[in-house]
Amino acid sequence: MSIVEIGVWQLAAAYLLLAFPLAIMLWYRIPMIGDATVALVRMTVQLIFVGLYLQVIFQLNILWLSAAWLLVMVTVADVSIVRSCSLRLRPIALPLFAALAAGTTIPLLLFVGLILRRPNLMDAQYAIPIGGMILGNCLRADIVGIRTFYESIRTGEKAFLQSLAQRALLHEATRPYLRKAVQAALAPTVATMTTIGLVSLPGMMTGAILGGASPVTAIKYQIAIMISIFSGTAITLALGIYLTTKRSFTPYGPLDRSIFKRPRKT
Amino acid sequence: MNEPAALEAVDVTVLYDGHAVLEGFSMSLGAGETALLTGPSGCGKSTVLRCLLGFVAPKTGSVRLGGEPLNAETVWHLRRLLAYVGQEPELGTGTVREVLERPFHYRANAGLRDNLKRIGALFERFGLGRALLDKEAGDLSGGEKQRVALIAAILLDRPIFLLDEVTSALDRPGKENVADYFRSRDDATVLLVAHDPELFSFADQVVPVGPGSGGAR
Repeated sequence: MSIVEIGVWQLAAAYLLLAFPLAIMLWYRIPMIGDATVALVRMTVQLIFVGLYLQVIFQLNILWLSAAWLLVMVTVADVSIVRSCSLRLRPIALPLFAALAAGTTIPLLLFVGLILRRPNLMDAQYAIPIGGMILGNCLRADIVGIRTFYESIRTGEKAFLQSLAQRALLHEATRPYLRKAVQAALAPTVATMTTIGLVSLPGMMTGAILGGASPVTAIKYQIAIMISIFSGTAITLALGIYLTTKRSFTPYGPLDRSIFKRPRKT
Repeated sequence: MNEPAALEAVDVTVLYDGHAVLEGFSMSLGAGETALLTGPSGCGKSTVLRCLLGFVAPKTGSVRLGGEPLNAETVWHLRRLLAYVGQEPELGTGTVREVLERPFHYRANAGLRDNLKRIGALFERFGLGRALLDKEAGDLSGGEKQRVALIAAILLDRPIFLLDEVTSALDRPGKENVADYFRSRDDATVLLVAHDPELFSFADQVVPVGPGSGGAR
């Protein structure tokens, strides 16, 4: 079995499906047509460029080029998380970058080296798609986790300050908020693992099957990637909160409100 | 040599968003004394307490606790001197028992765990039933929350109390009960903000806060 190639005209036919969402938006006058069109164009252009670029990277299969591409992906994810959490780049971006890099690299290298037993740990064919899947999930988890952490301290500031007044050290005072943030961020991955295969066929498994792999091989990949994602999100989140707290609190303990883009008045 | 003041603020100015919320404030309070902060609403009384706790850093001026200057390095161990009860206290999640036990899980308070044995006596002293211990802290009335927060502060055995309108949700007997407790605590230094200043007529000092108020009277 091998994958069926999609021609340009066949791909164009896929756009015919857009008639349904467009019709719904027009019928119910949902003011989203502009945004949806921009998103659609962006998706198409971005994927065409990424497809062409990755094809070159896969053909060259040079270690530093694969690593550089992963670095670009981590940087984009980093900026995207900081912006989505309405935080300022300056204090947060660098520590979060380190957390994302660690959370992506550790499970990725173990996946490629230990599970797939590839001699080249940065083999482009494996490192880039697997790294991308781990990073994409880290991004989603971090947006939920980092936002929950800082927002819950900001909104529950009285209780937080009370614990400082009672002589909690910073790590003791932030622990309940960290617990809440990690729980909120990991819950979707846990829920996905619970229902995987029953509610929907996951992305990697589908890709492997479409690529010609047997379902049994495909599920092995899927199990390995789910565990890698779970481990990567946990590492990124714990490390991300730990490293960003170093620059997000005043030396006296309270949260430094200048980390937020729009400081809220007390 | 004279004993240092329990707490001292000299010419303290605090800015918030570039505006002075406290300007040129000074006061000094000896060990075992009680002082009442007075002034119109929004004049910075709560800011004085927050400043002593290190929650806001003064732009100018200095704060000393037990003779030691308060700064980013010293604040973490100087908080051993302070017990703070804030306005409309937020007790956090869990039962009342968990709220009272929580501070003793912090490393700095680990040696004080035996103080928890005094919970029963303190509940009786402040008119709370023991059944309240198993109730969710979030379900308490305003008055119950204030008394639980006060008991949590007392259990920590600190020499200085910073109290921010701790009787605002209590009925008259409840307010008098709290005032009587602090009147009887000759060993404690108390700095408080109260909407019922007559309750604390035993205060050694009345300290005005606000524009042009430079110190104690």
